[in-house]
Order: sequence, then C-alpha cells, then structure tokens
Amino acid sequence: MAKSKNNIKPALVLALLLIVLAVLVIIFFTGGERERVRRRAEAAAPKAPPQAAEPAARKTVTLFFLSDDDDLLHRETREIAGGPSASDEAQHALAELVKGSEKSLLSPLPAETRIRQVFIGKDGVAYVDFGREIIDKFSYGSSSELAAVYAVVDTVAFNFKSVKKVAILVEGAEKETLGGHVDLSQPFLPDYSIVAK
Amino acid sequence: MLFLLAVFARPALSQPAADAGARCGPEAAKRRTVVIDPGHGGIELGAKGKLGTFEKDITLAIALKLKALIEKNMAFQVVLTRDRDMDVAVENRSAIANNQKADLFISIHTNGSRQKSANGSETFFLSTGATPDEETRRLAYLENNSSRIEDHVDKKSEEDVKMILWDMAQTAYIRQSSQLAEMIQAELNSLLGTRDRGIKQAPFKVLTGVACPAVLVEAAFISNPEEEKELVTDEFQSSVAEAVYRGLAKYLQVYP
Repeated sequence: MAKSKNNIKPALVLALLLIVLAVLVIIFFTGGERERVRRRAEAAAPKAPPQAAEPAARKTVTLFFLSDDDDLLHRETREIAGGPSASDEAQHALAELVKGSEKSLLSPLPAETRIRQVFIGKDGVAYVDFGREIIDKFSYGSSSELAAVYAVVDTVAFNFKSVKKVAILVEGAEKETLGGHVDLSQPFLPDYSIVAK
Repeated sequence: MLFLLAVFARPALSQPAADAGARCGPEAAKRRTVVIDPGHGGIELGAKGKLGTFEKDITLAIALKLKALIEKNMAFQVVLTRDRDMDVAVENRSAIANNQKADLFISIHTNGSRQKSANGSETFFLSTGATPDEETRRLAYLENNSSRIEDHVDKKSEEDVKMILWDMAQTAYIRQSSQLAEMIQAELNSLLGTRDRGIKQAPFKVLTGVACPAVLVEAAFISNPEEEKELVTDEFQSSVAEAVYRGLAKYLQVYP
C-alpha cells in the first residue's frame, strides 16, 4: 500500500505541472496574439489623422538663388506645406529650390535634381540625400559647384534652427564631389557672407 | 634676367658644398618638386563652354606649358598629376603630391558659372568646414603632437591618426598657401587683363590632404563665351602659364 501511494504522488505532481505549463503556454500565445494585434492597430491608426488634421499648416521659408548681376546668393521667400517633422519641411524647402525662382533669379541646381531624403540628426547635422541627377545633369565649374552646395547648405541651415551643419550625400552614399571641386566628405557650416544683403 | 639669376643663385649660396654636378647625380632625388594638377580629365569634363570647349582640355594645355616654363628656368622637378586626357580621382591627385614629397602644389582650372556674364580670374587656397575654434584646436594639436604621434600610437589607432593628419595636412600650410595665391593672382591680373576676382578660400577636395603649400588657379570663365574664345587660343594659355610661373618665382624669393 505504502509503496503504491508513493508511486502515485509523483505522477500527480507531474500531471499538475503539465497542466500548469499548458495553461501558461496558452496564455502566452493568445496574450501575445492580442498584443500583436493591438500593436498593428496602433501602427495603422496614427497615419490617418495628420493628413486629415494639418493640411492648413504652412511655413514660410527663405531660399537662396543666383542672380545674373553679381556672384552672390539672393534670398527669396516661399510658403511650403508644414510638418510633420523638420526633416520633411526641409525636404519641401529644397524641392522649391530645385523648382526655381518665382522672380527672375537662377536656380543653382539642375532642374532634374531629385531629393531622396532629408534627415536632421540630434547632433545638429542635416543629411541631404540627392539622386544621381544632381551630378549627371550639369557640368560644374568651381563657381557653379560652390553655388549649388551653399544654396543647399544655407537654405537648410537658415530655416531650421536645430541645424548647425549640412552634409550632402548622393544616392545614399558619400561622394567625393559633385563635379570635381567642392569636398563633400565633411558637413558644411552655412556661409552667409556670399549672400546679398 | 637679374631676377632669374637671383633664383638660381640662392640654392647655390645656401649649399656651398654642393658642386655643379650634384644636381644630376645621386643628389637628384633631393631636387625640389612642384606638382602641377591639370583639373578634371577623362570622363570628367569639368565645366563646359557654350561653344563646346571642355575645361579638362584647357587645363591640360596650360599645365603642359607651365611645366615646360618651370623646367626651362628653375631648378625644380615638375610632376603632372596627368599628362594626357585620362581619369584621375581627385583624392589621388593630392596623394601624388604627397608621394612625390612635393614642395608646392598648383591645380589649374578654368571657371564655370550658371551666369553667362560671370567673368574674371581668381586663385583659391583651402578653407575647411571647421569653425575657427575647431581650426585653432586642430592646429594646436598638430603642432604639439605631430612628432610624438608616430612613436606612441598602437597599430589599431594608427590608421585613424593618419586619417586625422591627412585631414589636417593642409591646415599647417595655410599661411604659405595664401601668400602663393596672392602672388599668382597679382600676375594673372597684370598679364591676362581679366577681371580681378581676388584670392578666396574654398573647401576644394583636391587641396585637402596636400602636405605642402597648395593653390587652385581659376583662369577666366569657360562658361562666358567671350572668355571661352580667349581660353582656346595658344596665346592666352601661354599667358596663364607665364602668370603662374612668375607668381611662383616671386613666392620663391620669399620662401627660397
């Protein structure tokens, strides 16, 4: 008797343990599923409101163009769509720079220039990533290359106070130069000494 | 002529022991070197003129004339970063200068602008993207540590240090570079008759990392049809070469 009792107890304990384990496993999976569903819902939800809620937010930016009369950059203000982030606004501002002047100023960038992405880092460096067209669609001399670089750098740094320096990338990578002159390996400080008063 | 004699006389006076034959003998390796860099080349055309002229062709023509002038009149070895129409990465141009242990580096360009009316000549030396504060700190670091660095760094950080030194190489020569630029610019003004755009600083890739005084000459605008017509002539190209040569000679009076 005593012997059989001793044999049953461990079997019971084992069975209980298995049941507890099974319950835990079921809770884990169903709970996890619910969590995942909730996460998916959260991810989908916020995308809709900003588009619907803030189309009216506009921001005035200053762009830098060339003039035929002197070697300086000239300011022109423009309204762009605001938000959602400063990086998006910077991209809109640069798109306007590519589009060209509404007065008779010259755009320092090729008309085909594509802006792939703008990212403003926490360190105050804005990374502007252009498509190949900025290199392929123009034969730069020193003056036109300096104008292209500093129009971009000044446009981003002037309008977004968190930006201290601007780095220029092409197709997501660091390039030596746009056309054999200006060194793109270091981020640029803005230079307003070449801007007309 | 007197002036040319003076240029020749200087090395002879400062090295009285060296006999006349030394220059051609084993001493030849110690001959001072100027590296001339004809801008662009190969698939890299540089700026384009309205009449179809490429910057790369004009810079090569001027550089070849300048090489001939220097070799004829000065005790310098002249090395070109390219002597024909070929691709040379910008970074390799400064590497050529450093591998040759160049004493001077002169990059030849003709300018291009989106403004048709842009005209004139200018001479550049390097500006870095650093703020004046960073510049001062870099310079102080370089002055205090350059001799120690070689002995005290482990293999792993050696490459990093080399990269930092490469970045800073030109910083140590900024003063001489600006003087060389000034002297060349004065000669461009008097010989070419182009508008004086002065000496300027810019972050040009070809000048970073050059471990000797280095300048970049922009002789006239190929994008300006009037100046493009001048740039294609043998006469104008010779004048540019002559102006750079005279500026170089003046510089050597100050830094023999």
